[in-house]
Amino acid sequence: MYILAVHRLLNGLRRSLAMPSRNPRMAVVIGRLLAIAFLLCFATGIYSHFLQDPLPWMVFPTRPVNLYQVSQGVHITAGILCFPLLFAKLYIVFPELFQTPPVKSFPHFLERASIALFVSSSIVQIVIGLLNTYQWYELFPFPFRQTHYALSFVIIGSLAIHIAVKLDVIAKHWRRPAAEPASVVEPVDAQTPDDPTVPSAPGTLTSSPGRNAVIRAEGVTGRLFDWIDTTPPAEPRTSRRGFLAVVGIASAAVVALTAGQSFKLFDGVNAFGARKQGVGPNGLPINRTAAAAKVEAVASDPDWVLTVLNGTETKTFTRAQLLALPQHTVELPISCVEGWSQMATWTGVRLGDLVDSVGARGGTAIKATSLEQNSSYAIMHMGPEYVRDDLTLVALELNGDVLDLDHGYPARMIAPGRPGVLQTKWLSSLEVLS
Amino acid sequence: MTALRAWRIGLIALGLAFFVVGGITLLNDVNPARYLGIAIWLLGALVIHDGIISFVVFGANIVTRKTGGRLRIPLPALLIVQGALVVAGIMTLIVVPAMLKKSIGTANPTLLPLDYGLHLVVFYAVLAGVTALALAVYGVVRRRRPAQLVE
Repeated sequence: MYILAVHRLLNGLRRSLAMPSRNPRMAVVIGRLLAIAFLLCFATGIYSHFLQDPLPWMVFPTRPVNLYQVSQGVHITAGILCFPLLFAKLYIVFPELFQTPPVKSFPHFLERASIALFVSSSIVQIVIGLLNTYQWYELFPFPFRQTHYALSFVIIGSLAIHIAVKLDVIAKHWRRPAAEPASVVEPVDAQTPDDPTVPSAPGTLTSSPGRNAVIRAEGVTGRLFDWIDTTPPAEPRTSRRGFLAVVGIASAAVVALTAGQSFKLFDGVNAFGARKQGVGPNGLPINRTAAAAKVEAVASDPDWVLTVLNGTETKTFTRAQLLALPQHTVELPISCVEGWSQMATWTGVRLGDLVDSVGARGGTAIKATSLEQNSSYAIMHMGPEYVRDDLTLVALELNGDVLDLDHGYPARMIAPGRPGVLQTKWLSSLEVLS
Repeated sequence: MTALRAWRIGLIALGLAFFVVGGITLLNDVNPARYLGIAIWLLGALVIHDGIISFVVFGANIVTRKTGGRLRIPLPALLIVQGALVVAGIMTLIVVPAMLKKSIGTANPTLLPLDYGLHLVVFYAVLAGVTALALAVYGVVRRRRPAQLVE
């Protein structure tokens, strides 16, 4: 009796939740877009991960100079785009949550468990990703970067399994149906027979009187379902098109109004980005201030020197001596792992010239050390593709002015195609690695 | 073995391989003391989405359709209003955390530099304007071509 009541409740829920926009074709249409967004996030995320933690054999491209700006900008923007797409996808399949019996077999249990994991890890992933761009770390009791990285594999793994399980549905609904039946609404679960006389068959219009007569339940839930069932029905075609239009508008809005933090093109409509182009010292945003890095005193010390080492050969340069070396001016973006980016004009000494001054020959990797203590980025390794790039500078000026203390005064690294955390500020020493 | 089955096996194997990598990363890179926090977030996401947000959306949908039916508002007009509410809701979910974080305080003034509350109000106003325009356009079209657009 109890089981029957639960069964009836679940069926009632599924039936009441049935909407014209909740059908397998729509699930495939939105699912494809969401899968593309997920894969874009994953690919750009992996790229960003290995830029920061490269395997020994890895070599990275240094052109185009805004490669990382684009890859990480796409990462964050596609991540924000996942909000409307994921909500849309979950909205479409929501009645599936109430399928009955809840578990039919062990494989069915695994399928439902994998979907639960997929859904929850996807939601957590985009939420902590967004909160990371706001640097609101206090909210989550786990390390952001490692968790975000681990979850990305869980999500893409779940995506592969989800596609495998739904492959027949996906194949069936991949293309638009040739002639669209005007009034037939397919249930989300296409395998369930759509028979109005069978109470367990979910999914036609909520106002179908024949259906309602059969599954009318008693008690409070029964009255609630009756109330719901007498709701005026949604006209399928209008409803479906309206749904897609809303997803499209929401997606366009969240992208257009936030992407300005990463792409200058959208700066004019940047209403909700976590950063704004041109806002900050030297007209450039900052991630870590000198105060936060606790380097204000040492970095302002007039006795500061940059030490350049190659084996036993050591040279030191004061800021004045660096300024006396041949100066080069380059246009390179600061592209943060948090996704914001801005182009800037940097002037300083070519890194290649500095390592040459201590007798480095050919392709050489370096280790740069910051004045900053207690940071995982205080020591930075740089491969020869960057060291020998003409655009890689030890920068002394930014946007025509002396480098601000918060931007790494007295000297900082700037190289093409690397994340901001590797553009080491407040340089202390450069060591040529053999 | 059919092609479908081969694809299925391949994709599931790929998925399991990804799970292994994700699991190893979790074991190696995340302090076990943090696992509980991750588990609570994963479970909380399901509860908040499936248990709360989805039902609120469902209830709001039923109530607007009921009200629309009683007031004899044509369905497309109702869908336009509902759509606008959904767009406003999604934007609110994304922007309100920025507002809150800004009010708590950020690491430096270049982080969250905009007036998010004001921008959100402007966004609502523009959205309301666009919605009104869409309703007006629908009204005009409906009066001109009543046979095809009224159900």
